[in-house]
Amino acid sequence: MTGTRITIPTLETKRLRLRAPEFRDFDSFAAFRASPRAVHVGGPHDRDQAFNQLCALIGHWQLRGYGRWIVADRETDEALGTTGPYYPEGWYAPEIAWSVFDRAEGRGIAYEAAQAARAYAYDVLGWTTVVSLVTPENTRSAALAQRMGCVRDGTFEHESIGPLHIWRHPSAEALA
Amino acid sequence: MSAPEIKLTGVPELETERLRMRAPIAKDWPAYRDLMTSERAKYLGGPHTPGRAYKEFSVEIAHWVIHGAGPWMLCLKGTDDAIGLVGPYHPEGWPEREIGWMIFEGGEGHGYAFEAAVASRHWAYTEGGWESAVSYIGQGNTRSIALAERLGAVLDEAATPLDPGDLVYRHPSAADLGLRGVV
Repeated sequence: MTGTRITIPTLETKRLRLRAPEFRDFDSFAAFRASPRAVHVGGPHDRDQAFNQLCALIGHWQLRGYGRWIVADRETDEALGTTGPYYPEGWYAPEIAWSVFDRAEGRGIAYEAAQAARAYAYDVLGWTTVVSLVTPENTRSAALAQRMGCVRDGTFEHESIGPLHIWRHPSAEALA
Repeated sequence: MSAPEIKLTGVPELETERLRMRAPIAKDWPAYRDLMTSERAKYLGGPHTPGRAYKEFSVEIAHWVIHGAGPWMLCLKGTDDAIGLVGPYHPEGWPEREIGWMIFEGGEGHGYAFEAAVASRHWAYTEGGWESAVSYIGQGNTRSIALAERLGAVLDEAATPLDPGDLVYRHPSAADLGLRGVV
């Protein structure tokens, strides 16, 4: 077999490592995608759909040159969630996306990871503004958006997920 | 700090008589999108919205990363313009490993899919270590049925289709072709 790989940069925060999604993350990823909480990310999804979603994470890097990382525990490498700059076809605008797997909730993991992702979008990718899209019912994500300094900026109707609240982050200039 | 180049590496390039087969890349997206959003995509699970097609294209690319095998973009030798996507494919939940094919608008009718499918199958049976392969074909897709038969595949009514009513064409095995996997 060939050594086919995609080289994706790694980021580190105090507790976390943001690294490339790999097949070994599939069970954790599929469990999240099958959970009731996946209603906020267009799910719940069965295993086959979750596989396509994990592949979509990887493929997005190749297509756009950026994408979502697996948020892993720095010590154990356990997959805790995903975050990263995200802009697939049919999306409102480039966004910072995040999700946290069930067992990692309530520890500020998403906040720590999403801050690193936003800094990457601004400092490395050179974006000047960015949004996050959140389903109207997802109060935890809305709270995180506010904690990151986002303000509501209208609603976007996605073709399959439905209405998404647009949360606009402080600009790169405002955070500089 | 500038943005690092994100590159899929390690995808082997194959050459056939008329074709160069290379990794799928971002600039192939418009050709893929145009096919997958067109009426011709009815045999490819579509037609899809551009958003859904984008996800499908991501999966085609990621297949290489996850399985070390996947579909190649076909280009005419001496060019870099994608005319189709052909090769090994077996995402989660598929009953068996497939040699799949699609030819973009304007590339049909020249036997390119046949040429690429032969090379793909040979690669899968040697470098890829596969022992068998099928092709999943929608009912009524006479062009794909003709291609499968030209490849020596036969309808296997006992095999599990992807979707009820679809056809499963079974290729000659690696052993049938005198090829042995080099796993």
